[in-house]
Amino acid sequence: MKWRFPQVLALCCALCTAMAGMAQDDMMDFFDEVEEESRPVTAVFKSQRLINVHTCETPGKGEMNFVIAHRFGRISDGAYALWGLDNASMRMAFEYGIHDRVMLSVGRSTFEKTYETGIKARLVEQMEGGTPFGITSYSVLMANGLRWADPERENYFSSRLSYAHQLIVTRKFDDDLSVLLVPSFVHRNLVDVPDRAHDVVTLGGGFRYKISNRTTINAEYHYFLPRPIRDEFHNSLSLGVDIETGGHVFQLHITNSRGMFERAFLTETYDRWQNGELYFGFNLNRVFQVGDRR
Amino acid sequence: MNKPLFSLMLGALLSLNAQAQQWVTRAGEVHFLSETPVEDIEATSKEASVILDLETGRVAVQVPILSFHFEKALMEEHFNENYMESGTYPKAKFAGTLRDFGGLPESGAVEVMVDGSFEVHGVSVDRPFNGTLERKGDEVMLICRFDVRTEDHEIPIPAVVRDNIAEVIAVDIKATLVAR
Repeated sequence: MKWRFPQVLALCCALCTAMAGMAQDDMMDFFDEVEEESRPVTAVFKSQRLINVHTCETPGKGEMNFVIAHRFGRISDGAYALWGLDNASMRMAFEYGIHDRVMLSVGRSTFEKTYETGIKARLVEQMEGGTPFGITSYSVLMANGLRWADPERENYFSSRLSYAHQLIVTRKFDDDLSVLLVPSFVHRNLVDVPDRAHDVVTLGGGFRYKISNRTTINAEYHYFLPRPIRDEFHNSLSLGVDIETGGHVFQLHITNSRGMFERAFLTETYDRWQNGELYFGFNLNRVFQVGDRR
Repeated sequence: MNKPLFSLMLGALLSLNAQAQQWVTRAGEVHFLSETPVEDIEATSKEASVILDLETGRVAVQVPILSFHFEKALMEEHFNENYMESGTYPKAKFAGTLRDFGGLPESGAVEVMVDGSFEVHGVSVDRPFNGTLERKGDEVMLICRFDVRTEDHEIPIPAVVRDNIAEVIAVDIKATLVAR
């Protein structure tokens, strides 16, 4: 076939039209081509602690989270003690984000006048369309501040110390449901009865379920592995509600553990749900931006 | 066949195609400001995708809500969790057409009007936007400022924070588009 000018022109016009038409239809596919940047899953939990146990959450860099927590007396104490409210045990703590994924904390509890300092690091973050769960580590050093029971004998500072190490495995299944699994290792330098174990391992689990944007229900349970120490200690079970109001998170709960630091609630829970030996308590979290985020 | 003529036609075809085109970016900047006597809240995303077709006059923008970063981490969490509900409504979207658009001059900025549908928090609003377009060498600059009423997009603001969050949020977009 011999090409002639009109034929070429017609062909060109046809091609142009086709391309223009194609271009028009192609426009919105620009957005489909976007390779979604994989982002870390955020807001897995409302707060640094689910109830007693730490979650994967850390304050942002430069954020200071101030925690005031109370556990009241036994609800079973009845009306005379206003169902335990007469008898509060408290803990306060400062938790500071030195990095968007690393938190340092200091705390003090009424319970055994215990000082504590801890470090939490988000080692692995759950990613949108990527890593299916997050892994966070938490280690804490606790120092009993009570006067020596027997000042006459030789006492060592190291006897006051205990340690806990935890791996917090978390997964946010959807906007509402987040679950955590927490193996914990607790070491006590000194135990009050000679045949009691220095090292205790527990396996904990918990979840939060959002019932509205600002409210969640929570539960956590810690199981001794293997059966420890003595029968007078029990597994810790706590149920609670989180209410978030802007800069505050109020956490209200019922628990059989009165202590609010790891050694206490993991290894020294004296009370049992079966016996109605329960404590009402709350954690109040207030966040301040004290440092620069960048 | 006349070879020079064929080359000419082919050249014309290619250049036509090169002209009739789409300008795009995936790194458009979107900034917003909520100004109240109590506090100013602002955030920026540098991940807006913009596509502009200078032939058809169509323009579309999409921004992932999670790409907005704030000065405070807690603000960012509340923005996503409580207000924008970005788990359910992950993107802000716009798709529209330039009004009476007569093409873009080789230099100088032109004021443009765009009519289209603007979706935030899963709620679409049809409305016009003002902006400017300017060709600068191999690039087209797009600038647009507009206000968004939170109410129009059914973004609930509880009474306790009503003094902290403006009812009308000022948004500005800056994007440098290149030929697709």
